[in-house]
Amino acid sequence: MHRKRNVGRRAILRTGALSFYSLHLADFLRARQAFGAEATDKKAKAKSVIMLWLNGGPSHIDMWDPKPNSSFAPISTRVPGIQVSELLPHSSKHLDKISIIRSMRTEENNHGVGHHNVLTGHRPNPSMAFPSLSTMVTKELGPQGSIPPNVMVPRMHASYMDYYRAHFLGPQYDPFQVPDPSAADFEIPNLSIPESVTVERLLGRRSMLDLVDRQYRAKVKSAEHRKMDTFSTQALNMIMSKEVREAFDLSKESEKTKDAYGRDRLGQGTLLARRLVEAGSRFVTVVDLHRPGTGRDWDTHGANDSQHRDHLVPWVDRTLSALLSDLSDRSLLDSTLVLVTGEFGRTYDHNSGAGRDHWCHCWSFVLAGGGIQGGRVVGASDERGAYVADRLVTIGDCHATIYKALGIDWTKEYMHPVGRPLKIANSINDEAGKPLDELF
Amino acid sequence: MRHVLVGLFLMLSVTSLHGDPKPAAKIAAVGLRIVPSNATLWGASPSQRFVVLAKGRDGLERDVTDLAQLDVMHKNVAAIDNAALRARNQGETTLRAAFAGHSAEASVNTLDLDVTIPFSFEREIGRILTKRGCNGSDCHGGVKGRGGFKLSLDAIEPRSDYAWILNGGGFQVLTPEALEPHTPRIQRDAPEDSLLLLKPTRAVPHEGGRRLQEDSDDYRTIVDWIRRGAPYTEKNSPEGTAAAQIERIEVFPSEAILDATGEHRMVVTAYLSNGRHEDVTHQVRYQSLEPNVVRVNLDGVVRAKSAGVAAVLVRFVGHVVSSRFRVLSEPIPAFPDVERNNFIDDYVFAKLEHFHILPSETSSDAEFLRRVCLDVTGSLPPPHRVREFLASRDPNKRTKLVEILLDSPEYDDYWAFLFSDLFRVKGNYGWVHTFYRWVHECIEENKPYDQIARELIAAQGYNGPTRHYLIDLNKPKPVERVVAESFRVFMGRRLDCAQCHNHPFDRWSQNQFWGLAAFFGRMTNTRWATSNVVFDDPNGHEANFGSLGDSLIFRPLIHPRTKDPVTPTFPDGRVLSDTLRRDPRTHLAEWMTSHRYFAETTVNRVWGRFFGRGIVDPVDDFRVDNPPTHPQLLDHLARDFEEHSYDLKHLIRRIVTSRTYQLSSIPNESNIDDRTDYSHALPRPLLSEVLLDAISSASQIPEMFFGTGAIVGTAPKGSRAVQLKHPAAYECSFMDAYGRPLRKTIREDDNGTSLAQALHMLVGKTYTTKLAAKGGRIDQLLSEEASDQTIIEQLYLATLTRYPSNAEENGLIEIVESSPSRRNALADVLWALVSSREFAENH
Repeated sequence: MHRKRNVGRRAILRTGALSFYSLHLADFLRARQAFGAEATDKKAKAKSVIMLWLNGGPSHIDMWDPKPNSSFAPISTRVPGIQVSELLPHSSKHLDKISIIRSMRTEENNHGVGHHNVLTGHRPNPSMAFPSLSTMVTKELGPQGSIPPNVMVPRMHASYMDYYRAHFLGPQYDPFQVPDPSAADFEIPNLSIPESVTVERLLGRRSMLDLVDRQYRAKVKSAEHRKMDTFSTQALNMIMSKEVREAFDLSKESEKTKDAYGRDRLGQGTLLARRLVEAGSRFVTVVDLHRPGTGRDWDTHGANDSQHRDHLVPWVDRTLSALLSDLSDRSLLDSTLVLVTGEFGRTYDHNSGAGRDHWCHCWSFVLAGGGIQGGRVVGASDERGAYVADRLVTIGDCHATIYKALGIDWTKEYMHPVGRPLKIANSINDEAGKPLDELF
Repeated sequence: MRHVLVGLFLMLSVTSLHGDPKPAAKIAAVGLRIVPSNATLWGASPSQRFVVLAKGRDGLERDVTDLAQLDVMHKNVAAIDNAALRARNQGETTLRAAFAGHSAEASVNTLDLDVTIPFSFEREIGRILTKRGCNGSDCHGGVKGRGGFKLSLDAIEPRSDYAWILNGGGFQVLTPEALEPHTPRIQRDAPEDSLLLLKPTRAVPHEGGRRLQEDSDDYRTIVDWIRRGAPYTEKNSPEGTAAAQIERIEVFPSEAILDATGEHRMVVTAYLSNGRHEDVTHQVRYQSLEPNVVRVNLDGVVRAKSAGVAAVLVRFVGHVVSSRFRVLSEPIPAFPDVERNNFIDDYVFAKLEHFHILPSETSSDAEFLRRVCLDVTGSLPPPHRVREFLASRDPNKRTKLVEILLDSPEYDDYWAFLFSDLFRVKGNYGWVHTFYRWVHECIEENKPYDQIARELIAAQGYNGPTRHYLIDLNKPKPVERVVAESFRVFMGRRLDCAQCHNHPFDRWSQNQFWGLAAFFGRMTNTRWATSNVVFDDPNGHEANFGSLGDSLIFRPLIHPRTKDPVTPTFPDGRVLSDTLRRDPRTHLAEWMTSHRYFAETTVNRVWGRFFGRGIVDPVDDFRVDNPPTHPQLLDHLARDFEEHSYDLKHLIRRIVTSRTYQLSSIPNESNIDDRTDYSHALPRPLLSEVLLDAISSASQIPEMFFGTGAIVGTAPKGSRAVQLKHPAAYECSFMDAYGRPLRKTIREDDNGTSLAQALHMLVGKTYTTKLAAKGGRIDQLLSEEASDQTIIEQLYLATLTRYPSNAEENGLIEIVESSPSRRNALADVLWALVSSREFAENH
């Protein structure tokens, strides 16, 4: 048996596995080229983004923009003069790191289209598909090492995935979807080698593939062939890379840290996000979908107050403050931009079911880290949190701010295949968004 | 040098039209002609460009106008001036050209030289704005104009252009008011100070650069016009009696070949409503769509840059035509006598011959079998069928195979799947089932496609096709989407842009869009979600249907800019009369399905499935500036489809029995770069659903599909992915990685490779546990105690539809024999086969 094995090795070497061992660096460089990383502003501090996506739309007046018409009292924060809702006791202690935009106004008031508006900067248009913020950031910054550059945890409903994709920019920028890391059977699909397949066997297979495909590739020419090779090498690097495997391995974290983030999906997902940006991911979206066990999500058309108080805000409060402490302790805060948002805010009045409905006309967007000034409030809503009272901020301004923090030229345009130019930071009336200079 | 001079023929060297020396192309002429062969010059100071073409022994016609000896028989009638004839007096004469021992003639007529053609803004000013590129889609012809000045694309709407010039301002989507500031572009009291002149001459800064010289005729034309008070038409010639309308324009050549350094003059002719035609070669805008292949100058002289094929667009006030140029690296001395199976081959091979591209050999039986099975049925042939077909000596076996495939249940499933994608079959509860059933029945019965389209567009009630008008539980789709989608699916035009503004690259106007939208304006449905009935309500009010619930409140259709209610209007301007408005969608469906666009679009879409690209490509993006590669073939296919009662099977049979379809995918030296002219088969990635089915059939392990959301339960064991009513509604990690349409929008074939696929291929379930699962092909073969050689051969037949080569077989046997686990090693062979590009592509 042992003898035969050695012959197998030789056969492998002869049929091309050698190229795998010897081409490591070159292949890696090729893989990087395929992403087309672009030059960025070296002065910018942020290198990665973690976005906590509060799916369904959180109530701004019950969180970041306290008002008399909220059922919850305002509390003081670490920053004199800035108050937040009493539901955010932990985050209030980090307000020196956090800045709040209280004058967001977007243009779509339902979930799907709201996602589209906030994530792409555009209103939906039936004749074209728009790339999402995370994919544009990924394209502009490029990957680092073998770690997937754009990750999403946990999976979003399939019907909403289109709002997160790169579309014409190319599938290499699409978010890599990871299941719920708090689940007992958590493993990364397509990244963990199943027991039946050893690394040796993977390499053996590759040499067989070389043999099988040689004749066809010599005869029929297609650009797809080289692209697939690049992806295969990248994929193999990812699977074989210790760094990548460890980045996804939450068992490396102390029980204390896991507790601090929270043992739920949001907490563990955010902890995973931190590990991933530490390992080089560019954009990690942590989606706070409806809470396992309670079935609640942020779309609180009924019982808004009790849901926010009992099922929603405390989890985010805990996780966000744990993340900010952790990033700060590890000196990652300046290089990691943290965003907290949903697709819109909620109405200033309760409806007949004690709920609050969708409200895109005035809401709050939260940023921290990434070299952005903390302890600032941008803009103001009116006395009920209903409309923007001062310094209207569009989603394009918000995206421009994010790009600026990352050193990306926010005035850049892409040409859509239909022949229409797209601004990467798209404000209203076809204008490019402007970064919020008070945050730099 | 390649072409030896033979006795009779004189050899000449061609110098550039621009006079610069270049390598001499040797021409041995065998014939000469003048285009046009007869010309009528009329009106004030008319002229006519002509081209003298010498046919060489190599079969190429070359522009030798500069080299030929030219002569007009009656010098008092017309004179030659810079490759053009200019009229002197009324009369008849002959233009004579002599070159390399050959001569040619063209007859020339001059008449009505004293007639003054009344001024027309459209004709005189519109043509300047078009020729100078002012109204291009990247300049003032863009949706909102540029720099506060808007013009219609190619002067399609001269009335609006006139207003924009007089008043200034920009386009706004939601109101007919022009965007501030309103800066008039002309000054009647000081014509030379008009912005319309200062900007393009760069007397003031102009982002678009210098477009006009002060000493040009066009400059003087504009100054004169402003000085006369900038009229739309002359005062003494009321509108309607003004200049003749341009009905169409034609360009010569429509197709031509150039040497690596060749040049060719173009001649553009406008056909007028008064029955006359006119040379407008110098009044149009030329645009090469592939400037690295050919360049074209302001005077319409095309110059070769590098080998390839390129279209040149010609734009003239509201009209666009195109011609195609092929730049040769090396002419083919003799085109082989290629057998032709049907009219498709006539057009394709005629063009290949004309363009000096050699077609590849006919595909091998194995190549053809795999290709046609995947294309017609979306599935791979089982190994015993492969053996049988390869062994058969029946000369008609290909044709017979096609008939078998067209009659197979796999055909029904596969085309039902393709049309379910196109019609976006999805939905809630029972809807997806009733909708899918209808699609499947249409295919099974081979229902005429025009009937399918009518049933879908005019759907009423609760039958299958009505379901495509609903999106959520009880909401009808917005009318805007319905219009754009139906037009894209059935008429191949993308109207979406015209919802908010006139189409940026085409002639579709916002008014046409809303005229079409009005046909859907009375569509409503009952609210009760489970038995939601779709109907047109002529009265347009909310109604109560008792147990069926009530209808939705009407949203009256209002034009977004003018704020006027819209009325059902066909794109040609005909308004649907009041009496016919009980059933407006039926009338729209009839109009659509009897329009030539319908047949053209359908044949083009189906063609695209078999060749990886449409004759117009993308298949549903017919536009004036996206011309077909084979216009006559498209036309003939469309006519053939109409004449055969829109029979899809007939169309498919025509395509797959053509020699063109059956060419090999292995290119030769002359056609390796061809992507548009069908000289060889282009490899196409399999759709993700088809790829998964192919892996299931190769491994003989069926995929289990668990429904999610609207579709509950598990698909019957053994279901193929293409048999699922809505594949995206099932859990499937393979299709997550490879992509599958949600059917919210029309599917775009973007199934290129990705990292997720590469990862799945290495360690995903489909490629690991599935391939060698219990009871599969490998199991069966092992239990039959087959040899390595037999198993490998069988695996090749089951995946690549061919026998392995000796090198492949020996190499693999060696690896298998030396492996610790035979079973694992054979599973790895299967992995390698299904992971190969040869497997993942149809070729």
